[in-house]
Amino acid sequence: MIGDTILKLDKVTKVYPNGTVANRDINMEFEKGEIHSIVGENGAGKSTLMKMIFGIESPSSGTITYKGQEVHFQSSLDAIKAGIGMVHQHFMLINSFSIVDNIILGDEPTSGAFIDRKEATRITQEVSDKYNFELDVTAKVSSLSVAKKQKVEILKTLYRNAELIILDEPTSVLTPQETEKLFVQLRQFKEQGHTILFISHKLEEVKAISDRISVIRNGVSKGTYRNEELTMEQLTNLIIGRDLESDLEQFKTHEDFNNEKAMIVNDLYMERNGKPALNKISFAVKKGEILGIAGVEGNGQLDLIRCITGLEKTAYTGKITICGKDTTGMNIKGRRDLGMAYIPEDRMGDGIAGPLPISDNMISTYYTRDDVNKGMFMDNKAIDRISDELIETFAVKAENNKVSIDSLSGGNIQKVVVAREYNTHPKFMIAEQPTHGIDIGSAEFVHHKLIELRNEGVGILLVSADLNEVMDLSDRIIVLFDGEIAGYFPNARTVTDQQLGMYMLGASHQTEEEIGGALND
Amino acid sequence: MLSSIFGSLFTTRFLATVIRLSTPILFAAVASFIAASTGMVNIAIESIMTFGALAGILGSYLTGNAWAGLLIGLVVGILTALLIALFSMRLGASPILIGIALNTFADSLAIFFLYQIAGEKGTSASLPTKTLPVVNIPGIQNIPVLGQLLSGQYVLTYICWIVLILLFIMIYKTPLGMRMRACGLNANAARTAGINVEKLQIFSLVLSGMFAALGGMYLSLNYLRIFSKGMVAGQGWMGIAANGIANGNYGVLLLSALIFSAFRAVSIVFSSSTIFPVDLVAAIPYFAVFCFVTIASIIRYYRVKAGKVEEQ
Repeated sequence: MIGDTILKLDKVTKVYPNGTVANRDINMEFEKGEIHSIVGENGAGKSTLMKMIFGIESPSSGTITYKGQEVHFQSSLDAIKAGIGMVHQHFMLINSFSIVDNIILGDEPTSGAFIDRKEATRITQEVSDKYNFELDVTAKVSSLSVAKKQKVEILKTLYRNAELIILDEPTSVLTPQETEKLFVQLRQFKEQGHTILFISHKLEEVKAISDRISVIRNGVSKGTYRNEELTMEQLTNLIIGRDLESDLEQFKTHEDFNNEKAMIVNDLYMERNGKPALNKISFAVKKGEILGIAGVEGNGQLDLIRCITGLEKTAYTGKITICGKDTTGMNIKGRRDLGMAYIPEDRMGDGIAGPLPISDNMISTYYTRDDVNKGMFMDNKAIDRISDELIETFAVKAENNKVSIDSLSGGNIQKVVVAREYNTHPKFMIAEQPTHGIDIGSAEFVHHKLIELRNEGVGILLVSADLNEVMDLSDRIIVLFDGEIAGYFPNARTVTDQQLGMYMLGASHQTEEEIGGALND
Repeated sequence: MLSSIFGSLFTTRFLATVIRLSTPILFAAVASFIAASTGMVNIAIESIMTFGALAGILGSYLTGNAWAGLLIGLVVGILTALLIALFSMRLGASPILIGIALNTFADSLAIFFLYQIAGEKGTSASLPTKTLPVVNIPGIQNIPVLGQLLSGQYVLTYICWIVLILLFIMIYKTPLGMRMRACGLNANAARTAGINVEKLQIFSLVLSGMFAALGGMYLSLNYLRIFSKGMVAGQGWMGIAANGIANGNYGVLLLSALIFSAFRAVSIVFSSSTIFPVDLVAAIPYFAVFCFVTIASIIRYYRVKAGKVEEQ
């Protein structure tokens, strides 16, 4: 069976009414029973292409041939009926429904006019057991872990007898162990004759799972390759069109800022639900350095940042000093006025105001500053000029500064956030998961900007769940475990990920004296 | 005097009054509920009740048949609902603003038509109108207490009860109902499951319009037997309030509507005495609605905080 073409795209082009070309002349063939990855940067056009295959969008020109027939899906219902299923990046589940109800929705087994819940439960459990999903299908979706919710999504496609399953960034929400399990399952589907379309920008995973790989760049197909034909470097080149600078160290300069401290945390203590969430933490961020905080998510990083930024003003004890000033009782604005800048993790919720234009988002954390005000009014000309300059400097891909920011891709939105914080001329910056979920090109750009700020003497506190990011960028590293500093590494260049891992999982703990260096070095 | 008033609250007659008064509020409540089930907002229930009430009476007068009047009232309810659908879903207007516009405009439009046809501005009393009957159920009517409650009600009250049962079955037991609820809970999830969300939303608005019109026609064609200005008197809003309290729970919806009806009955009982100022007594049901909505919000706040229920 392998070798038969199940889906064929022929010169598929998508032009949106506003003139944006999302895909141009895409030719691709998918074989029955293969795991076929589609890789490309965010905004490269992967999502649009999948939407066309799944019937959510229709191509402006070109043809899609499925199982030898030219198809024109009017909605996803047509695609589902034809045997195509899609697992969306953001789960399409109804939390208050049971697993059964979520799975049968849209194709319910009935007896007479009524839903046959007994039959539905039986069929659902049967499919779940057949593929070893280990789910109790009568459970409510809201009670499930993220990994299980994803299983429900996959089960939905199998219930509808999908032969071709599209998975859009399925591993972005999973732990490494869960990802491994997912891969085992995907290989199982492949053996049973399903075709898997795997969308990702995590290249290690793509290399680990794929039979073949197709690359999209700027809406154009850069070819389909057998996995073994490509090295990681070649793949990276195809995706971003140039070599990645893998070693960031070479961009760092080493000026002396007299060991001055940009921010100091003394004996920070905070409780949550009666337990210490932060337990007597002390450290300092020096001018002209990047201090990385490593740790498994949920070990106090969130509360630490809330305290330093002033999101929590009174819930903690201890002292936080920004640029030499004690910030006790000071609100966010007060702390920002001292020279603090903040790149928040929740880009869409905390980082931007979605429906507002780029220009407003470019000044939203310093809108009271003199250079964007003229008397009692906003100086729109100055705002325009500043936005245009920043859009150019930060290579934000946008028509102009008046388009609403939520129409941009994740990487471009993050560039706007970084540009804005950069333009507050900070002395101390918190970068929380600064490249989470954005494409390689944008991530690289953000990294370079952070190093540029560091070289100019800004003290940067980097908090990231991506261990590679922490190790590549930081000068010094702190490991947080269970609300405490478990380890301190004065030289990030000499530490290995295994070492960090021991402290992250609580298997090792340094002495107080060693940890003291985080504050005093 | 006071004790006799309180005494009259615990009689079969009082319960019968509650049932009589509950029909329009129950209709309004399910009208609000069914729209909300697919994620639509219909705050024009008050005005659709007014339109339905008038259309029913005028239809009955013009055709000489009360049932034909009922049909015409239903059509007017559906058309108003489609108007809301057209403006909010196709033309992008805010459903709240459309609701406000219709509610503001309903009484004056009703009086305009009333004046054109009956030559009067207050009531339809001058029109010889056929109305819908009271139904006595043989057998049941002779049972003590129960007979007084279950028999001898207006025909639209029985229709209301049937609607309540059928609606429950449709919403919770049929694929259609499950799909409608899916639209309200997560429209994107419903869409990717291949459901035509817009179609179901229009359908739910149409049902909402029909129920609201039935509530209005209960008042004009059945209970009061005339149309009079301002007769809906906030009962549509009480239905919306009941739906707000219910938050998707059908049992709580009906219970809230019945509690509001009970307070209307209390207000009527008290108005027969001279102890309390009449205006104050007339405000009782509305004040009760205010209290219940507030209490329900506070309870929900703490339940969400305690993690017992999810924020929708």
